[in-house]
Amino acid sequence: MSHLFDHHGASGKGYSQPAPVLPASELSLPDTLVRKQAPRWPRISEPEMVRHYTWLSKRNFGIDTGFYPLGSCTMKHNPRVNEVIAQLPGIADIHPHQPEHHLQGLLSIYHEMQYMLEVCAGMDQVTLQPVAGAQGEFTAVRCIQEYFRLRGEDQRTKVIVPDSAHGTNPASAAMCGFEIVEIPSRVDGRIDLDALRAVADETTAVMMITNPNTLGLFEADILEATSIVHDVGGQMYYDGANFNAILGITSPGLMGFDAVHFNLHKTFSQPHGGGGPGSGPIGVKAHLADFLPGPIVKKRPIVGDEAKHAVDDMWFGWYQPTHSIGKVQQWHGNAGAIIRCWAYYRRYGNGLKTMSEHAVLNANYLRHVLHREAEAAGVGDMIVDGAETKVAKHEFTISLEPAKERHGISAMDIAKGLLDMGYMAPTVYFPLVVPECMMIEPTETESKETLDTFAIDFAKVLQVDAETLHAAPITTPVRRVDEVYAARNLCLRHPYDDE
Amino acid sequence: MVDQLPNLGREAEMLATMGMSSMDDLFSDVPDEVRIQGLLPLPDPQSEEEIIADARRLLGSNVALGQRVSFLGAGLYRNYVPAAVFQLITRGEFLTSYTPYQPEVSQGMLQAMWEFQTLISELVGLPIANLSLYDGSTAAAEAITCCVRVHTRKATQKDTVYVSELTPPDRMSVIENYCQGAEIKINMLRHNPDGTVMLSSAQDAAGSCGVYVEQPNPIGVLDGGLPLLKEIIGQNTALIVAVQPVSLGLVEAPGAYGADIVVGEGQPLGSPITGGGPIYGIFACSKPYLRLMPGRIVGRSIDVDGKEAYCLTLSTREQHIRRHRATSNICTNETLIALMGAMHMSLLGPEGLRDLAVRNMAACTLGKQKLSAIKGVHLPHASSHHFQEFVLELPGKASECLSYLDGVGIVGGFDLHRWYPAQPNWLLVSFTDQTKSNEIELLAAHLEVWVASQGVTA
Repeated sequence: MSHLFDHHGASGKGYSQPAPVLPASELSLPDTLVRKQAPRWPRISEPEMVRHYTWLSKRNFGIDTGFYPLGSCTMKHNPRVNEVIAQLPGIADIHPHQPEHHLQGLLSIYHEMQYMLEVCAGMDQVTLQPVAGAQGEFTAVRCIQEYFRLRGEDQRTKVIVPDSAHGTNPASAAMCGFEIVEIPSRVDGRIDLDALRAVADETTAVMMITNPNTLGLFEADILEATSIVHDVGGQMYYDGANFNAILGITSPGLMGFDAVHFNLHKTFSQPHGGGGPGSGPIGVKAHLADFLPGPIVKKRPIVGDEAKHAVDDMWFGWYQPTHSIGKVQQWHGNAGAIIRCWAYYRRYGNGLKTMSEHAVLNANYLRHVLHREAEAAGVGDMIVDGAETKVAKHEFTISLEPAKERHGISAMDIAKGLLDMGYMAPTVYFPLVVPECMMIEPTETESKETLDTFAIDFAKVLQVDAETLHAAPITTPVRRVDEVYAARNLCLRHPYDDE
Repeated sequence: MVDQLPNLGREAEMLATMGMSSMDDLFSDVPDEVRIQGLLPLPDPQSEEEIIADARRLLGSNVALGQRVSFLGAGLYRNYVPAAVFQLITRGEFLTSYTPYQPEVSQGMLQAMWEFQTLISELVGLPIANLSLYDGSTAAAEAITCCVRVHTRKATQKDTVYVSELTPPDRMSVIENYCQGAEIKINMLRHNPDGTVMLSSAQDAAGSCGVYVEQPNPIGVLDGGLPLLKEIIGQNTALIVAVQPVSLGLVEAPGAYGADIVVGEGQPLGSPITGGGPIYGIFACSKPYLRLMPGRIVGRSIDVDGKEAYCLTLSTREQHIRRHRATSNICTNETLIALMGAMHMSLLGPEGLRDLAVRNMAACTLGKQKLSAIKGVHLPHASSHHFQEFVLELPGKASECLSYLDGVGIVGGFDLHRWYPAQPNWLLVSFTDQTKSNEIELLAAHLEVWVASQGVTA
């Protein structure tokens, strides 16, 4: 084990600093504000520090390490040129309060990204400000809330979400002050139109839904759902978590949605970074555009001597929507993430459809070979489809319920067994509507060979006896971690000796 | 795109395996009415070389602050971040991992975030820290909604908080957006002419759910009166202090003077300013807030062999478990940037942090000496202490002064008229460890020229 807080080197400098421009003795603080006890941080030299973090990194699994079929998370390869671009001083060393003529390059990229996302989603206006998918949801629902307030429709206090929705949907709507109405999904995982009709009325503000849904199925009845909500005067919100399945094939706009968020860290390859940063721009139809958080980038013809600062024959400027809800992040969104995603989209351009086709191809292919290899190994009856369907979209679900009932092997056991085979485990126990669920999303950046091998290895894990699987994983840096112990014996920071 | 799709050209083979003949078969469930016809109206795909060339051209046209002499801060500060941080952060095991839901293969990031929690906890003087929120403004907003959840039952001013009137409008707007759903009433906490908190106004806040102040505050003042606040507002009113973390190398940790929640823009530790994001928000608190706080938390545990191991804990507060009753909707956060912060803090150590704080404050002190000597400019808060920025009151509009300075290659600071409409002549000048003496002299010389051009005779 390497422990950061075990380092107590005498010099205590991991990097040297030049002398201050005035000696410390010339600085003055109010007596009440002089720090009395220095933070008990480690004292570590650079070589020790580099080794510590390298050691930690080797105890972590990333896409670069191996196949990462984590459903709902779109763990695609992160092109490295994007990282190089994001370190250029023209993005790393710029301040959002600099004047427009200092930032024409950035603004032109923002404008291009707004346009690209509008085109892909079939929306009229995009803002890049929200910094995560959940924040995008919150922002869009806030905009719709203000839209209704301005129209005097204060009675619209409810937001409808399917029971298979991501947890962020109800959480975001509740943060805006809405009451949540959850409707059950049909047994095949798709939206229950009768259940929707039963709850949609003049108190409905928004319905939040993702399509393909969280089971990876396309909601073929989406136009019907949209008209049910629109007929009672409500708005349709598209959760873009599963956007990777449909780029260039269909769009939320064509499906009748009024607002959408994008997870740039899923669809457009901003690295997930162990849980962030992300970027969650939103797009809306024209009637909601005035409510978006500002500023948004607009372009206009060049005036006077602006040409000497321009990057184009147009001038890019910040613009504040008339009835803007204000800000949801203090600056202009996660600019560094937006630059990476711009570099990513440029790779595909008008060929983004090919990206989605391959995501769907890989998911369906893996679904097919997974069952094939399980059958061939004589364990085909241990898994069933999470939902009946001819084709899945970018991800699919399977249920380990038969394995659980017959052999006492749970989805979690299989997940841990896969870790021993050198894979990241798929998402387990989500969506809740599928018992012993495993949700698998290979993404378009995995080769056929990887998918074939994974299917064979998956079948091998299915053949392992229950006792062995209960003990898995055994090859990982630690074995099963006791989460109950963690919650009962809270240790949320380094315990210093005197504590 | 060819380089990103390993199965390009093998579609037929894969489709045949599934008994399909065309890519369209994969989308047989998408009704014709919602199909996009033709190609997206976007440019042709580019190669990596073309993309990087365009990026260099467009981003190269931005004015990076390192190319200029800069005194622009106002919430984001250009401290030097050591090279090891940038090198280590590109390790694919960190960069390309997801939230550590499978702890057995995520020990590296989990332990690094547990260490981050410890570093922040020690820095601010509170026992608990989460592993980051989006930025300082959302951390402030989440702290305020959190304190209402904890205190409103016993509060005499229910669902009410007091927020410093100096809070920049953009930050305030974030706070308002986060508070409106819970119908939280936001009152203003007043400040004295010297920039410090008006203690009589703080008395009005007693019995409310919480008070939000910043240290140093948005006009750069270090407020020696803040240690009195907790006693004034009382035990059932949360004291929320937003900090510039580097300042805590010299300035007392808010936990030591009774702060219940400490938030802040973590950026100056570990991260370039990056146009304002991705950066990371600090959130730390005392025990009574633990079960109602937002964000992810790592706990130290054991594995089945009794070996030390780490995992996410207290998840029942979070959206993926609690759904609409969650303490926050946050899911994706700023883990990787927090990791950069942890690396920077590790390299600094306690003495290095103090040195860094001294360098920031020394530049500011020198700036104060040089700029206050200019005839015709005036420091409205001269009697107060400043950490790294202060207000200059000019004999004309700050916006015009900034344009003049821009013309001579100086980014002169921030026009406070954008925050405080009653102050067209206030310029906020900021200093960091990167500010050199000769740069301060250059600013002073040009300010003198500009002031003279305003026809001021002192």
